[in-house]
Amino acid sequence: MILQAPHPRAANVKISNRALRPQSTGTLFQTGPFIVRIETPFSELRERLAWCYGRDTTPAPDSLVQFQIRIDRGSRFRGGIAPQAVFRFENSTPFQPFPRSHAFPLMEWGLNWCIANRAHQFLMLHSAVVERDGRALILPATPGSGKSTLAAAMAQVGWRLLSDEFGLVDYQTGLLHPLPRAVPLKNASIDLIRRFAPMAAIGPTYARTRKGDVAHMRPPLESLRRQQETARPACIVFPRFVPDSPVRLQQQQESLAFTRLAHNSFNYRLLGAVAFTQLGALVQHSPCYDLQYGRLEDVIPALERLMQSAAA
Amino acid sequence: MSLLLEVLRAPNAVRTFDNARWNLCMREIRAQGLCARVSYLLEDAGLLTHCPEQIRTELLAQRFKVEFIQAQIRQEQRKVRKALSGTNIPVILLKGAAYAQIGLPMARGRSFADLDIMVRHGDLERAETALAAAGWLTFKIDPYDQRYYRRWMHEIPPMRHPARDIELDVHHGILPLTSRLKPNPDLLWDQATALAMAPFHVLGPEDMLLHSAAHLLHDGEIRGELSGLLDLHDLIGQFTAEPGFWTRLMERADALQLGRPLHYGLSLCRSLFATVIPPEALQAAGQFAPNPTTNALVQTLAKRALEPRYPLRRPATVSGWLLYLRSHWLRMPPGLLSAHLLRKALRRSPPQ
Repeated sequence: MILQAPHPRAANVKISNRALRPQSTGTLFQTGPFIVRIETPFSELRERLAWCYGRDTTPAPDSLVQFQIRIDRGSRFRGGIAPQAVFRFENSTPFQPFPRSHAFPLMEWGLNWCIANRAHQFLMLHSAVVERDGRALILPATPGSGKSTLAAAMAQVGWRLLSDEFGLVDYQTGLLHPLPRAVPLKNASIDLIRRFAPMAAIGPTYARTRKGDVAHMRPPLESLRRQQETARPACIVFPRFVPDSPVRLQQQQESLAFTRLAHNSFNYRLLGAVAFTQLGALVQHSPCYDLQYGRLEDVIPALERLMQSAAA
Repeated sequence: MSLLLEVLRAPNAVRTFDNARWNLCMREIRAQGLCARVSYLLEDAGLLTHCPEQIRTELLAQRFKVEFIQAQIRQEQRKVRKALSGTNIPVILLKGAAYAQIGLPMARGRSFADLDIMVRHGDLERAETALAAAGWLTFKIDPYDQRYYRRWMHEIPPMRHPARDIELDVHHGILPLTSRLKPNPDLLWDQATALAMAPFHVLGPEDMLLHSAAHLLHDGEIRGELSGLLDLHDLIGQFTAEPGFWTRLMERADALQLGRPLHYGLSLCRSLFATVIPPEALQAAGQFAPNPTTNALVQTLAKRALEPRYPLRRPATVSGWLLYLRSHWLRMPPGLLSAHLLRKALRRSPPQ
């Protein structure tokens, strides 16, 4: 690319002060490696964001923002009867509008979509990650297999929740980065967690979303405070919830675990050789298990024993 | 002026950026889909290390996506080659595929929407048959769409292999058959260079540049196509050093009837990117300009439609729409155009 000395008119670049002033509008929050700014006219969404992410230190107003998001009003014509919320990432509108009352789940799904589409500095596994004593337990699973529920429950009994959705593997160091977010509990899981941990902070239930009824458990304070602290992978367990089933743990072949992880990753194909190498190292250094469970009260002690034996 | 334009003109500008300027500039870069391309621009200028770590990480991460698409394009090219082997049909790679195949630095970080190839009109039917036999399917099955492409366009309806994600556009010319400008494809073939990877060819350097300008200014929507103009800017930078290039370019523009888009393209590159163009060349291209009123109007509208306005100003919707009308006006004679637009207006909204 050849460029001559700046054009005469370029010399006095004028950017209005308004554009460069640290924005007072919108909610700024940090989640793991990312800083997110949400702008919205909906006061109930701003309150929900403050409830969920606002308890720890807020980033400085002039922080570098990776995800700039607007949750806007939908068409004015519908405003009076069935108001809508529209998700915008920069100048794109990737989804159909949601009802205004579902603005928070829309924002959460939208942010996940943004991360999955752009954060290729990580190998992104579709998995929950919890940690204890600096050792991370990776719980990869397809939607509906109960990984969010399991991760939410473990976060209530002394495990640090890194994420219920993203296993962010730094492909240079192999370390896992936290991404503390609201944990969406679906349908029967909502009452399950309420019974399991009556103290858990669970928000309102959003009825009949795309994925059924959803209520969010807010990320534990511990997760937010230690969101810059990475963890070394120690064990990989593929969970599957089967009602009334006893706990069944079976060792999984490395090669099978590899393909299951690759298949479930958000960007395995995209990263190519980098992902192949990192995933290979991951399954070789961490024992892999297949897990079937029916009760949270049984499965958590079993996983604790498993992590202890893996350390020995 | 937009910070993105400032960086594209003189990457050194980033040395003075504070966080507020970085935030603003990144929003412009993301909105234009130029993250990966800017990452190479900054790397070549030795400036990546001057970027804040979060910025560098984000820019570099976007390379993976672009490189993945480029790998898919290369695979599609191999499949096309295999499908056409034994037919002896020569093929010209157009646009991005050509830049990448001949290793132009500007292809690094450049995103692709689809694979564009060109065959001679006489080979079209055989090429389509061979591709269909190898599994490519046509997805636009509406009879009107079929007729629209077959009778009036410079390409057949887009094809795609069901096992892959890349769309294949097979052209037999570079502007619609109904267009006011009628570049003769035979002239393009005369100057095309055969690549070691038969049956692929690329257009001659002058034609490559003229095609880029014609595509931007005469073929569809211009709004938001800053990356298209950046292609033209990079091609100028790439070829300008070749002795006699500008003279040959003007001769080719005349022969191919592409003087008008060349004139607009050069002017726009100069006003948006401050591209280095010799004064004689600008003057020579000026002979292709329309009357001063039209010239000034189109230039103003095109500049407004192309310049990055997000996030500080409203998008130049009206300018974009007027230019869209202009491009349709140039695509088809008025009678055909009104029939086509009526047809499109009456049709229910297209399936998503």
